[in-house]
Amino acid sequence: MRTVVLCSSVYSETACAMTVRLAQSGCAPVGALTLSSLDPGTLLRKLGQWGVRDVTRFAVAKLFPQNTGKREYLRNTYLKPLLTQRKQICRNLREIAGEYDFPITMCRDQNAPSSVAQLKAWSPDLIIFTGGNILRRQLLDVPRLGVLNMHLGLLPQIRGMNSPEWSLLKDIPVGVTVHYIDSGIDTGPVLQRCEFPDASQCHSLADLRNRLIAFGIDRVAEVVLALDRGSLAASPQSELDRDNQFFVMHEWLQARAVERLKKNCRSSVAAGTSHG
Amino acid sequence: MSGRTAKALTEAAGLVRGPQRVLPLIHRLTHDKIRVTFDRRHLYSYATTTRPTSDAMELLIRWLLDAQRADGGIAAYYSLLTGYSESYPEVTGYVIPTLFDYSQLDFAHSDSAQPTKHESASAAVERAIQWLLSLQMPTGAFPGGLHGSSSEVQPSVFNTGQILIGLVRAWRETDRSDVRDAAIAAGGWLVKMQQSDGSWSGPGAYQGTAHTYYSMVSWALAALANQSADHRDDHRDDDRDDGRNGDLNDDRYGLAAERNCDWVLSQVRPSGWIDGINLQGHPSYLHFIAYILQGVLECAILRGRSDAIQTIANSAWVMLRKFETNKYLPGAFGEDFKNGRKFTCLTGNAQMSCVWLRLFEMTHDLRYLNAALKMNEMLKHLVPRNGPRGIFGGVSGSYPVWGAYQPLRYISWGCKFFADALMLEQRLTRSYEAACAP
Repeated sequence: MRTVVLCSSVYSETACAMTVRLAQSGCAPVGALTLSSLDPGTLLRKLGQWGVRDVTRFAVAKLFPQNTGKREYLRNTYLKPLLTQRKQICRNLREIAGEYDFPITMCRDQNAPSSVAQLKAWSPDLIIFTGGNILRRQLLDVPRLGVLNMHLGLLPQIRGMNSPEWSLLKDIPVGVTVHYIDSGIDTGPVLQRCEFPDASQCHSLADLRNRLIAFGIDRVAEVVLALDRGSLAASPQSELDRDNQFFVMHEWLQARAVERLKKNCRSSVAAGTSHG
Repeated sequence: MSGRTAKALTEAAGLVRGPQRVLPLIHRLTHDKIRVTFDRRHLYSYATTTRPTSDAMELLIRWLLDAQRADGGIAAYYSLLTGYSESYPEVTGYVIPTLFDYSQLDFAHSDSAQPTKHESASAAVERAIQWLLSLQMPTGAFPGGLHGSSSEVQPSVFNTGQILIGLVRAWRETDRSDVRDAAIAAGGWLVKMQQSDGSWSGPGAYQGTAHTYYSMVSWALAALANQSADHRDDHRDDDRDDGRNGDLNDDRYGLAAERNCDWVLSQVRPSGWIDGINLQGHPSYLHFIAYILQGVLECAILRGRSDAIQTIANSAWVMLRKFETNKYLPGAFGEDFKNGRKFTCLTGNAQMSCVWLRLFEMTHDLRYLNAALKMNEMLKHLVPRNGPRGIFGGVSGSYPVWGAYQPLRYISWGCKFFADALMLEQRLTRSYEAACAP
């Protein structure tokens, strides 16, 4: 199975962990196409996702690793087992590419003709999307099987942004869906849909999201292997006529989602179902 | 010389009469130019609360109270060129519910300084009511346009409807017979002027033609119908009958409201777009689109018309998707919500926030609340926290301030609708929190 990984940045922990996990499964990518970290759009997106403090902290850790001793810093500690290479934390895709011997191409737009041409040159069976632009038809048509996405919510009920938070507020089980990307927002055929069993152990939204990412990476690896064996077929989504798209959640509602998370956690402890 | 050129010259001449306005004008123009150049048009910016709702509310109400003229009417706008306008009967009427709501808020009584603000709002309402009652024509109609702007006073269906919204609320709050009589007379005139298809056209209608945004009149009539029914129930054993009670014993106001509602619904396209704004010489500003939605929605809620609520929800959802996807709502649209203009109509934004909040209340779909919270946050950022009276705490017609809708003006109805949106937000977030509490 020839796979290619699409990333939002070479410093994306999710992309690094996904790549390592695929390689460990015997499906190391034949290439990775990543947005330039110095692209203004990427920088703004990272600022929006991480905030100024974390971006600064990470930049300092990257620029002065020996002096500050911050090389061990990981935003998602649940990815540590995957990102630990020779007793060191590795969160740069270049290092991982060196380890598993695949090329990285930087771009400013994943849909640009040059990016699509590079993808065609790699001739992938499958592209795994871990972040970047909204993908256009010319890119979606490149791989033989399709472009995979790991969505942090159960489709078709929760499409779009802040899926774990919306799941909590809507009383829909938290979970992960691996699906093909089509021209809609999270409307493509579903390959695997898994409820997340440990949601009641999460103490914050960041904790829930981090655990879901680690959980989802394993699900993607399973799907890739199953597709390689030819033992998995995608199912078209139901409810396509219903508008189940959700958008960036305002912090007031996020606070209500946190309350719901903590309430679920307390209920779980009271019922003695927590694994501690 | 065209009317538009003459108007522009008159406005510009205002700077000669009031040179003290030059610096604030330059400041606002520079401020908005810098902001539109560098500001991230990005909803992530507005998904975080940085300005308390209660602070913004105080500013808006202060702006409205400052805009009350000596006669008791509220000025239509503060122009960066000419200063405050004359009193505007229409806004004076429909600002009444806003001031009543504000004076009844919990936080209006939260510290020792607040009773003064509460009393100011109540006193402003009283003066506004007295002024409005003095303007009513023998037919029951109210005049259109700015007060004293024309020697010939013309009755206006739309303005009468907007004022009726205030009179009905004042009747409910005060139970004053003179207010009740004025409301009934206004309602009676509106019913009389209605066409058989449910629209209002001809004399009393703007440019003589029917407009779908007159759904605001149907809201007023539906509110009058409910208030009349409540009054009838409260005074069932009352022997006094001064001749007006006969007007309360049937549902003619409610039926007229529904007739208009049905006419507006017949203008809805599958895309959610509603035809019939019919303002010749103007684009379809968001303000008027939002009027249509608000009017039908409120009328439908009062009359229990779930079909109308669903239809309006479809249109409001189209707007919500545009807001969430494009990070702003254009200030004016072409048919089927296409060709959005590149400025923002702040009043229309505040009205859409009200519509989404009411739809959240009706449907419990949290996505409406989410969009309204972000919209309100964005609007809070655009309310000036400094500047002279008339600018400080105001809502400009457009953002940037030179946009096509009410350019270079801070408008009273912008403050009114944004204050309404913030009070709705506060009420609904509190009730949601209460419902979620263990």
